[in-house]
Amino acid sequence: MPEKLLNDQVIDQVLEAFTNLQKPVVILFFGSRQNCDYCDDTHQLIEEVVALDKRLSLNRYDIDADQEVALLYRIDKTPGIVIAAGNGDHIIDYGIQYSGIPSGHEFSTLIQDILLVSGRDSGLNPQSREFLKKLEKPLHLQVFVTPT
Amino acid sequence: MIRAEGVEAMEFPELSDRFGVSGVPQTTINDGAGTIVGAVPEQNLLAEIMRSAAR
Repeated sequence: MPEKLLNDQVIDQVLEAFTNLQKPVVILFFGSRQNCDYCDDTHQLIEEVVALDKRLSLNRYDIDADQEVALLYRIDKTPGIVIAAGNGDHIIDYGIQYSGIPSGHEFSTLIQDILLVSGRDSGLNPQSREFLKKLEKPLHLQVFVTPT
Repeated sequence: MIRAEGVEAMEFPELSDRFGVSGVPQTTINDGAGTIVGAVPEQNLLAEIMRSAAR
């Protein structure tokens, strides 16, 4: 077994946050065998998070071997993460994704994303919802971040 | 219809360069149709999305 990535203090904080979990969340992890420095650590990190609550689950895919699944979720980078509603094969995709390792500051983003999807509510104001509901073309937002 | 992707800028330098990311957070809308630098209130984000979607 590799050494744990999450220490006891972080685990306690995550467990505290997860008292607000509501409905099941499934994390889709996409890795690749080539040119992916952070794939193993990212998978392990998510595995450790998912192990903290039974409402969470993890599906593992390979961007090449599972090309159809990657295309379906429009994953073009690894590590690629989709935070979706449901479990196993019952997946409702809200289009919430993260590319790269969610470490440092971005670890709390991952936890917040899980809580958001678990609550099944975007938290957006009515004006935003009204506009987004009427979108006729796909909208892709990429938020560039760094872990520090 | 809507895809919101967090991107670790340092892991994907080619993409960051392509969209001229020099500070974070930076939000790129529809492959560069719109850009927001920094964290902004929801209504500002929506305004930029509206502007980009109209293009």
